[in-house]
Amino acid sequence: MAIATRPARPGERPQALPRHHAWGAIGKFVRTKPLGAAGAAIIVLMALTAVCADLIAPYDVYEINQQLQFTPPSLAHWLGTDEFGRDVLTRIIYGARIALFIGLVSSFLGATGGAVIGVFSAYLGGKTDLWIQRLMDILLAFPLLVLALAIVTVLGRSIPNLIVAIAIPVIPRTARIVRSSALSAKENVYVEAARAVGSSHLRVMWCHIVPNIMAPFLIILTAQLGSAILTEAALSFLGLGTAEPTPSWGLMLSGGAPMYAEKAPWLAIFPGLAISLAVFGFNLFGDSLRDALDPKLRHRT
Amino acid sequence: MRGFKKNMWLLAVVMLTGLWAVSPALAEDKPHYGGVLRVALAGDPPSLDMHQEQTFMVTIPMSTVYNTLVMFDPHQYPKIIGDLAQAWTVSEDGMTWTFTLHQGVKFHDGSELTSADVKASWDKIVFPPEGVVSTRKSLYQMVKSIETPERYTVVFRLHYPAASFLSMLAHPANFIYAKKYLDQDINWYKTHTMGTGPFKLQEYVRGATLEFKRNSDYWKKGLPYLDGAKYFIIPDTGARAKSIRAERTDVEFRGFAPVEVESITAQMGDKVMAAHPGQPAHWGIAVNVDKKPFDDVRVRQALSLALDRYEMVKTLGPLTGLDTIAGPMPPGTPWTLSPEELQALPGFGKDHEANLREAKRLLAEAGYPNGFQTVLTNRAVKLPYIDFGVYVVSAWKKIGVEAEHKLEESAAWSKSRLTRDFELLVDPFGFAAEGDPDEVMVKFTSSSPSNWGRFKDPMVDQLFERQKVERDAQKRAQLVHDMQKRVMDKAWEIVGLWWTRVEVRSARIHNYEPLPSHWMNRRLEDVWLSAR
Repeated sequence: MAIATRPARPGERPQALPRHHAWGAIGKFVRTKPLGAAGAAIIVLMALTAVCADLIAPYDVYEINQQLQFTPPSLAHWLGTDEFGRDVLTRIIYGARIALFIGLVSSFLGATGGAVIGVFSAYLGGKTDLWIQRLMDILLAFPLLVLALAIVTVLGRSIPNLIVAIAIPVIPRTARIVRSSALSAKENVYVEAARAVGSSHLRVMWCHIVPNIMAPFLIILTAQLGSAILTEAALSFLGLGTAEPTPSWGLMLSGGAPMYAEKAPWLAIFPGLAISLAVFGFNLFGDSLRDALDPKLRHRT
Repeated sequence: MRGFKKNMWLLAVVMLTGLWAVSPALAEDKPHYGGVLRVALAGDPPSLDMHQEQTFMVTIPMSTVYNTLVMFDPHQYPKIIGDLAQAWTVSEDGMTWTFTLHQGVKFHDGSELTSADVKASWDKIVFPPEGVVSTRKSLYQMVKSIETPERYTVVFRLHYPAASFLSMLAHPANFIYAKKYLDQDINWYKTHTMGTGPFKLQEYVRGATLEFKRNSDYWKKGLPYLDGAKYFIIPDTGARAKSIRAERTDVEFRGFAPVEVESITAQMGDKVMAAHPGQPAHWGIAVNVDKKPFDDVRVRQALSLALDRYEMVKTLGPLTGLDTIAGPMPPGTPWTLSPEELQALPGFGKDHEANLREAKRLLAEAGYPNGFQTVLTNRAVKLPYIDFGVYVVSAWKKIGVEAEHKLEESAAWSKSRLTRDFELLVDPFGFAAEGDPDEVMVKFTSSSPSNWGRFKDPMVDQLFERQKVERDAQKRAQLVHDMQKRVMDKAWEIVGLWWTRVEVRSARIHNYEPLPSHWMNRRLEDVWLSAR
């Protein structure tokens, strides 16, 4: 990527980006990518819900109340209560914390790990690249959920193990895409120039390759976030994730929901909607981000 | 004349119609040969050796393969009848029991069962070799020796005349194995089967099915009626219930929650029968007293005080069947603690706010004013394990105890229990014989293998020793009451709730009555199925 600049004059300080420029970019994004903006709004809402759960949750998330067992949605309990008399809305609010935390950490770890591997693989090339990519092929052969399931079964159920189990399948998916970008960046003249003036491999990768893979990295990160949330819900549903009474959306679907589906269908409906909305939001935002950052799709003047 | 003939014809038609209507009903009273009973089972057996295991996941399927020395009459509980033993005598002093075996009983490999096989099996239960687990060894502490003076005679000599001995002998877990395989490898039966029972294990696909086929050389002539039995491993409770509703299975031998039974019977009507055979088990918490802070009685008492059992039964009763508050002995017996005795014990008083204040005070006194973190190890079985664990973990938060609810698959949970790899453990216990104190309370003695917390209380041990030889019923009951109060006062075990079992089965199953414990009456030797 070439950016036209002029050398700074002595004593001249770089100017800060005008504030209206950032808002302008956001405004342009909203105008040109309304679906992406909707996705972003969902993500922001989810993040605010997770952060402010203690302030906005109407009831105690763990309080068991026998008299309120299986209460249908009402003014007092907007989304009803479960088999223990716990407020479903409150549990969904706190569930957003678990979903976002596990989703963010695991997709960040996986995407970062994949990016590092992709950059190294592309930069070093040769047999190193060959072996790394064959290892990635092996990991890619497994569907994401199956691999995560196998890993958490071996490691045991706990939140750290869940994060690792969800992060590992993200690595090869990121590595493959980042490697492509890194390969083209490696061919730039300035990279060769940097090597010629004696920059170390690490410096070249960090200063000249990594900036060029940030766009695909961010796209993968947002795309994988939605997938990570879904995987966490699926593993909790299968009994391999968090355990009750922790409020997790997947756990809410696997606990009383199937057993009491006839008696209390809201136990399945609302956690299911929460998961769907979260994944939908991340997918919409990720798609629009890809459109915005992909140079082939951007219209340049 | 014409009128007479007409009347005779009419009478003949009416009689034939009546016979036609009645004959299916009459036929249903007669056993049919054939059919495969399909059973929904909650999980895989950790191993196939019942002597070494403590779960219904072994007893329910594997009882079809073996006989026991004596057994509870499947149709007249709690009467005890002979199984491999055709008769027995007891000496006047109650210390010598002589059993005469049936002759001509064959193992599935064709070899004959003799007293040597019975002795080898019982030696393994009562005097297990080093390194071999016998989970019910303590039930037989009255046994001094087992002798085989003749080919078909077995003699049990006792240390003391125990009123519970015959009842303990009839425990459904006391499978009789073949001596030659035990001599080959004492753990042979963990991975193999060889019994004298009405069925043979045909195939076991882990995580899927256990299939048994009829033993056509069964020594009880004319039995079994069934061609076989197939056990479908369905860990999810909802899925097991659905299998009954969809008629893909005929019975679930452990029990469903009342709310689930309601749905099944509402949907299926007279195609199913629901029975309430009793309260065979209790769910509580075992405490590992070797791990801090659980060596401190104040901490244990605080954990018990934090549980509002009166609210707990209202919440958990309809969801799980955990619907009765009592001490460690089963409710509704001479051994049961009275409400007054119960309410004097930590956690059983009716003023829950006062209990919570006392719990916090005790924790502060013990050095934990802000509570502490711990791990509650539990079995990954929804009913009632997980629901019980959820209630307990939520309740403990009120006194600042943050317990991670660690769920483990049955085999792993069983191992954690055996190796004491836990701090707190959801601990079911109960009875599979008659619920005698020798069977239930032995768990709390310091030498019992099922004293998972490994606490040692000389007073508890002493009370147990005294009650086991006490012949006066009232005195014995008082000793048992005192023992329960001691266990609960010191919170060696955090007593929870008793479970009412509700068993649902297809109306096609005949000659079968559910008994109080879900371990009992699983042989299926005289059960038959009517046609669909």
